[in-house]
Amino acid sequence: MFNIRRFRKTAGLAVLLGGTLLAGASGWGAAQAAGSDEKPARGGTLVYLEQQSHTNLYPPAGGFYPNGGILNQITDKLTYQNPKTLEIEPWIAESWTVNADATEYTFKIRKGVTFSDGTPLDAAAVAKNYDTFGRGNKDLKLPVSEVINNYDCSEVIDHQTVKFYFKKPSPGFLQGTSVIGSGLVSPKTLALPYEALGDATKIIGSGPFMVANETLGRELTLKVRADYSWGPAKLEHQGRAYLDEIKYIITPEDSVRIGALLAGQADIIRQIQAYDEKQVEDEGYLIYAPSTRGVNNSIVFRPDNPLVADIRVRRALLHATNADEIVSTLFSTNYPKATSIIAKTASGYVDLSSKLSYDIEKAKQLLDKAGWKLGSNGRRQKDGQILELSAYESLPQPQNKETLQLVAQQWEKVGVKLNVLTADSGSAVVNNLDPAKAPVSPAMVGRADPDVIKSQYYPTNRNVLLQKGGNGDKVQSFVDERLNALLDQLASEPDRSKRLAVASEVQNYVVDQAYAIPIFEEPQAFAAAPYVKGVSFEAVGRPSFYNTWLAPRR
Amino acid sequence: MSRYVIGRIGQAVLVLWAAFTVSFGLLQALPGDAILIKFLNPELGLGPEQIADIRTSYGADSPLVVQYVHTAINFLTGNFGYSIHAGVPVGDLIVANLPPTLWLSTLGFLLSLVFAITLAALSALSPFAWLRAFIQSIPALFISTPVFWLGILLIQIFSFQLRLVPIINPGPWQALILPVLTLAVPISAPLAQILMRNIDHVLTEPFVAVARAKGASHRWVLWKHVAKNAVLPTLTIGGILFGELLAGAVVTEAVFGLNGLGGLTQRSVNDQDIAVLQAIVVFSAAAFVVINLTVDLLYPIFDPRLKVRQGVVA
Repeated sequence: MFNIRRFRKTAGLAVLLGGTLLAGASGWGAAQAAGSDEKPARGGTLVYLEQQSHTNLYPPAGGFYPNGGILNQITDKLTYQNPKTLEIEPWIAESWTVNADATEYTFKIRKGVTFSDGTPLDAAAVAKNYDTFGRGNKDLKLPVSEVINNYDCSEVIDHQTVKFYFKKPSPGFLQGTSVIGSGLVSPKTLALPYEALGDATKIIGSGPFMVANETLGRELTLKVRADYSWGPAKLEHQGRAYLDEIKYIITPEDSVRIGALLAGQADIIRQIQAYDEKQVEDEGYLIYAPSTRGVNNSIVFRPDNPLVADIRVRRALLHATNADEIVSTLFSTNYPKATSIIAKTASGYVDLSSKLSYDIEKAKQLLDKAGWKLGSNGRRQKDGQILELSAYESLPQPQNKETLQLVAQQWEKVGVKLNVLTADSGSAVVNNLDPAKAPVSPAMVGRADPDVIKSQYYPTNRNVLLQKGGNGDKVQSFVDERLNALLDQLASEPDRSKRLAVASEVQNYVVDQAYAIPIFEEPQAFAAAPYVKGVSFEAVGRPSFYNTWLAPRR
Repeated sequence: MSRYVIGRIGQAVLVLWAAFTVSFGLLQALPGDAILIKFLNPELGLGPEQIADIRTSYGADSPLVVQYVHTAINFLTGNFGYSIHAGVPVGDLIVANLPPTLWLSTLGFLLSLVFAITLAALSALSPFAWLRAFIQSIPALFISTPVFWLGILLIQIFSFQLRLVPIINPGPWQALILPVLTLAVPISAPLAQILMRNIDHVLTEPFVAVARAKGASHRWVLWKHVAKNAVLPTLTIGGILFGELLAGAVVTEAVFGLNGLGGLTQRSVNDQDIAVLQAIVVFSAAAFVVINLTVDLLYPIFDPRLKVRQGVVA
């Protein structure tokens, strides 16, 4: 099968060769940085180059970056998570109350908010949204949102007041109302079947922009809503957005996105690899690399596979992995080395760097103790079996194949073989659910609430360790009751300080068990022209263009 | 004649049915399926029960025969189903992607004909043997030029450095210039090669010697006697090359960020979006059938001998 990513990389190289020849012809110098005291100018079209076309725009599917980049402009959320402080601030909800055990949430809805089709965004509309996100809708095939745990039902108290009930404590819910997957859409949108929601023009939100038109898979135009007056309450900028229009253009090829940006054909691009950053910065353009504040880019083990069932083997491989080398060889300063399973900027983070040291001697000793002896071929063996593991590369993660290959080289030094495999999505999905075929796997997820750890490890959520009872039917017996109990507690502990203590305990536990080898904190990398001002990002790295304006080009 | 045409149409229907059935079988045999790929995607974070619910609602686990009959009936009634990955009707996707591909491949093919004929003419008319050898080796260079490299190079030179054509937000014609050029280069190579070889071959035929003996000039012989005879096999190859066009379009579309069936096919294969793939296979099979039929009908125009034989058959 044609591998678009590999091809792109080769293409980039080819251009590099071609580009050197042409460098003499390029006369455009570095753009000048503008002062910060300028007054925002209104108007203009922002040209945004996106790597992939959006898929289904049902808001809970907003985690996919191309989707989030659109939904974040056209939908509002009940609450706003301040990306700096991570505090939850009013937005569509003016205020809220939560009962002591976090099973009842009451929100007061701001007056005068409308969806772009004119329908009012009132308590009933909010209730309809959360009933759908919290319980799904089987007839319309709308799935449940992963950020809402233990949802029971809603109650519309009056036009501006809505109350949600939960079956069990759900302390992560308040933050859950601020995330990209909780964008509020018109009841008309929610009356459509899942299959119809890939058409952006059907997604009616109340956000500062609305979808004007779309050429499927190629181009999407958003228009400003002139009557927008309900931005997050604590933002300095209120009223309509500065831009008139945003044009999303799908440009899959890395070098074309970067070239178009530098040639002045585009204003901002998403997804720029670490090795391209310098080229862009040298031209005076800006790199934005907001953290995704969630579970770090890691390598996880599937202990159901007997080869990695022994904690000593997993620990040995943890100490044989040199994250510093990976970060300095493949990435840039925008990709900080991981010091826990979640990012430094994630809530509930504890520094575990002392447990994550690179120590090749310790690794060798642990493997010796576990009975894996070096054979004549340089490989570790036990009872005639060779310690040989496999992992499938994950296409959405930056330079994942290269990362895994470097890890394979590092493990080679202690006599362990790691095969890095590539497959079409179908085979990769199926094989990655089989601990026998994928004893090792890359993993990451972004969300600024400790709930994210549960999302990642819990068997009925993403189940990265492949425990029994989750989505893999090939799993024989592996279950870690203690881990699951901790995760349950994390998702349902109403007391904030106790909850953070649980978060710390989970991080320690996962690292002590060496279930995961954290590598780096994953950012979302964007590049923008210097005249694009006021680009901001929500807490986990989706761009928001509400504040964005275009200064005169120089 | 009418029996001939009815026979051809019958064949076409058979080809379409076979394409549909074989692709259905192959797609079902692949590990995983679109629903699995879409909903196991960690971005959605769905649990196994939720995925099982979704599978039931799509009828993904019903017996193959039921699915086959169901899909076939839907196709016959013009209902191509929904793309699970993109979340839109397959018909919409085809409508959005077919016209750009048609433009790209038609113009690409025409330009490649221009390249091929130019090269063949230059080679046939060149007065020196070394120049002929040089021109005749150009197709080898063309066919071994990687399309993505060529595309990116053209973008770098003409769009980013010289700034002649924008790549982002181009006008409808501007958008086609570089992609058509990119696509035409590799397609022109086999055409040029066949044309050159045939010209060389026809030049050795006795009737050419007769024409020359009667005092015809080299040019006259080439245009009046050789070209017509040399063009027939080229036409056949041209029909077959249509497939190449679609394949070349995958890369061209990716590089230039164009909408098109090539890119749609590649994405759908990767996501195992069976409904989309089925529609594309049937559409492509239909296109092949039509093009090859056209080529067959064009033969007699270039070679009157074929017209007589066909008349006898009909």
